[in-house]
Amino acid sequence: MSITNLLQNWSDFRQQHPSDERPHQEYKWAMSIDLDLCTGCNACSVACYAENNLPAVGKEKFSHGHSHHWLRIERYWHNEDREYADQGAQFLPMMCQQCEAAPCETVCPVGATNHTADGLNSQVYNRCVGSRYCNANCPYKARYFNWYDYPTTADVWPAPMEQQLNPDVTVRGKGVMEKCTFCVQRLTVAKSNARTEGRSVHDGEVQTACQQACPTGAISFGNLIDPESRVAKQWEKQQVKLNHDKQAKDAVHDGDKLRGYRILENLRTYPSVMYLEQLREGAI
Amino acid sequence: MGKDIREDIAWAQINKDVLKSLENPKKLYWVILLIAIAMVGVAVGCEIYQYQTGMGVSNKSNSHVWSLYIATFIFWIGMSHSGTLLSAILHLMHADWRKPIYRFAEAMTTFSLMTAGLFVLVHLGRLWMVYYVMPYPNERWVWPNFQSPLVWDMFAIATYLSSSVIFLYVGMIPDLAICRDNIHAGWRKKLYTVLSLGWEGTDRQWRNFRITYLTIACFLIPLAVSVHSIVASDFAMSNMPGWHVTSFPPYFVAGALYSGCAAIITLFVILRYVFKFEEYMTLPIMRKLVRLTFAIAMVWTYLNLIEFSSVWYGHDQTAKDQLIFKATGPYAPYFWAMIFFGSILPLLLAFKRFQTHLPLLFVVSIFLNVGMWLERWMIIGPSFAHGHYPWTWDHDQWPSLVQWGIVFGSFGWFTLLFMVFCKVFPSVSMYEVKEMVYHRTLALKNKPAVKGEH
Amino acid sequence: MSQRHLLALFNDFDEAVAAISELRAANIKGFDFDDLILKSPIEHPEVETVLGDRPIKVQWFTLAGACMGGLLAFTLVASAQANFFSQIKAGKPIVPLPPDFVLTYEMFILGGVFITILGFLICAGLPAKRSPLYSAKVSEDQIGILVKGDEAAVTAFKAIFTKHKALEIQEEAGK
Repeated sequence: MSITNLLQNWSDFRQQHPSDERPHQEYKWAMSIDLDLCTGCNACSVACYAENNLPAVGKEKFSHGHSHHWLRIERYWHNEDREYADQGAQFLPMMCQQCEAAPCETVCPVGATNHTADGLNSQVYNRCVGSRYCNANCPYKARYFNWYDYPTTADVWPAPMEQQLNPDVTVRGKGVMEKCTFCVQRLTVAKSNARTEGRSVHDGEVQTACQQACPTGAISFGNLIDPESRVAKQWEKQQVKLNHDKQAKDAVHDGDKLRGYRILENLRTYPSVMYLEQLREGAI
Repeated sequence: MGKDIREDIAWAQINKDVLKSLENPKKLYWVILLIAIAMVGVAVGCEIYQYQTGMGVSNKSNSHVWSLYIATFIFWIGMSHSGTLLSAILHLMHADWRKPIYRFAEAMTTFSLMTAGLFVLVHLGRLWMVYYVMPYPNERWVWPNFQSPLVWDMFAIATYLSSSVIFLYVGMIPDLAICRDNIHAGWRKKLYTVLSLGWEGTDRQWRNFRITYLTIACFLIPLAVSVHSIVASDFAMSNMPGWHVTSFPPYFVAGALYSGCAAIITLFVILRYVFKFEEYMTLPIMRKLVRLTFAIAMVWTYLNLIEFSSVWYGHDQTAKDQLIFKATGPYAPYFWAMIFFGSILPLLLAFKRFQTHLPLLFVVSIFLNVGMWLERWMIIGPSFAHGHYPWTWDHDQWPSLVQWGIVFGSFGWFTLLFMVFCKVFPSVSMYEVKEMVYHRTLALKNKPAVKGEH
Repeated sequence: MSQRHLLALFNDFDEAVAAISELRAANIKGFDFDDLILKSPIEHPEVETVLGDRPIKVQWFTLAGACMGGLLAFTLVASAQANFFSQIKAGKPIVPLPPDFVLTYEMFILGGVFITILGFLICAGLPAKRSPLYSAKVSEDQIGILVKGDEAAVTAFKAIFTKHKALEIQEEAGK
């Protein structure tokens, strides 16, 4: 039976994703983040903690590198020749890039992290054995390991904070890897609602927690396949193509003025998050 | 250079000498055994604490997700390779001098693999789910990810461990029969009777034994090479700068043979001294072993240089930065210690007068292994400290005592296994030493005739 | 007619070889040369050549085991991956060939080694009960020749063995 399956569908099994021509069906979730709008306020990160039941590990564990911010605001400084050092701050919200060819997926020994049909990089907590190979192979180091059993650790959610835990999201025990999911719980609800009504998800119908919380609207999120979605328009305008590891922007007129880029694109991870370069000189 | 073995040793004497090593041990043996058990106890304690509390107590972090466990895992896997080199490659090349020393080298192979296997377990965040890595049929049709180098590791190590246990055992059957015929008391008699499978040394048994031994030796050579190449693939297949290097598999294999040979020298000196095996583990054999080690050390040095220079002249700026970081950053002392112990110190072995100087060789061989351990640590530690993504650089992370405790205990575990082996099984292959003596006698007998022909 | 077993022990290998060749040449009634068993402490092909062509079949087990191991591994791994189709991995095909070849290779070796051992046990007739005619000297330094023949042949055996300076001749009635 298995061998017949193997022989009959051989060409399907040899399909390479995403470089071969077989786009995602219906949905391909993607994001774009305008760094020019980002003020580094950390509201997205806080929203993520609240939405995804992330444990606040505390100062000591944080200092040991055990932090759990699925979405972190990275600060970079360009403060030479500035009157006030803080003027040179630049911010970069970094979360799992939901790569189309994610390096973490191939190396997981148990197949706990996979590419889903709607273009996400999924993480199956109850399959994970904690070899941490995925993090070792993630160039962005956007994966976070449960170094302790946080649900039973005191002061991770001091009362009454446990009341705000999101019932749609599991609380992870020790020894599993976790990462940004693009708020998959929201996506699932939106998709199933749309399916019930016999349509597909509208642009803007579903928002990630970080997007919702961003005061400047720097984050846009949506279905890249839907040409009318905001995110698809942005990608189109910036001439960033999902399945290219080198964007052909320099070839076009004024291509160098386009701001869109993906991080560490040269590693051929094909990330689903596009960043728009910062134009402002400083934070202030 | 003297002869490897005297041709006039009585065969009964060989039996007697080797069987003497199985007699009741001295007090010191028990003392060392207790120390080894205590060391294992430390590791078990650390592991229980880590298991209960979480991996965080080992002081890894989201930048340093791997640490000493993986470094020491490679170290032990590497050490296991020389047993195969001595028993399989030299067997195929009819190098007779391997015969008195291959048995304990093979035991070392087996036990260091068993030690390495434990590190995989210790490393896992959810040890209790380790069976997920194995391909077992289940009603959900969920399989391990066969693309992962860790699954290859699992397959390779399972194959290597079972094959080398079998190889060790099959090669030992004639010797177990000798034990059976000569030891008549207690549980040992029963053990040897069962394990020797009723071996009588008939021509039918020997004939099939010879071809079996040869066949398994042929299988073991590519297997050993593939095992360490696969361990190297854990790194070379990933995209971490400093790991993503094509020369990693041969580099790892050379390093493995190197540390294994150094360990064989160490154990050679110990066994020769403890069991008074001067007649069998002779100085000419040691000299050959030392020369082999020296050659492998130079191969390792060469591959090391290849790796550095290909990074240096390559266009991968990240990898280059990382190399500079290794050589100048907080890890620099360890890096240069690795170069010193791995490439400079073995130059001593080139001098004839040191090649048979046992106390010196003992010390040097231990330091060579320190160097090889540092090499593995230099692959893991600095790479995680200085990866692709600057924001995650973490130069100050240092493994906690829990990790050091487990690494420390692993040496106790190895010592424990090895010491028990030496007292239960003959650590010198009696029948092959006899063969060696026999071949030498034949050669001496035929020599004048050969001369006459000319 | 009842069969008798005789075991003669020799110290000198050349004498043992001579004894065997003589046994072979002497056409003793009720004795089949193929029943002669040589027992020796070491493996020495030189002495075994006088026994004539006795077949070794272990390598066929090896071949079968290795091929089966490799084939089985590839089929199982590839079809397991194919059943896991909903989960694409990182831009790789669902049945990626290079990793599967690695596993095929490992299982090729594993199958080869295991079935070789099985073949060894079968071909060498192990594990077995030791025959009553066995001397611990054989595992030390002496070579033994075990022959089986009719009662009438016993004297002829003994004559040949003593002629070649057998140290000891053990005798036992056959089953």
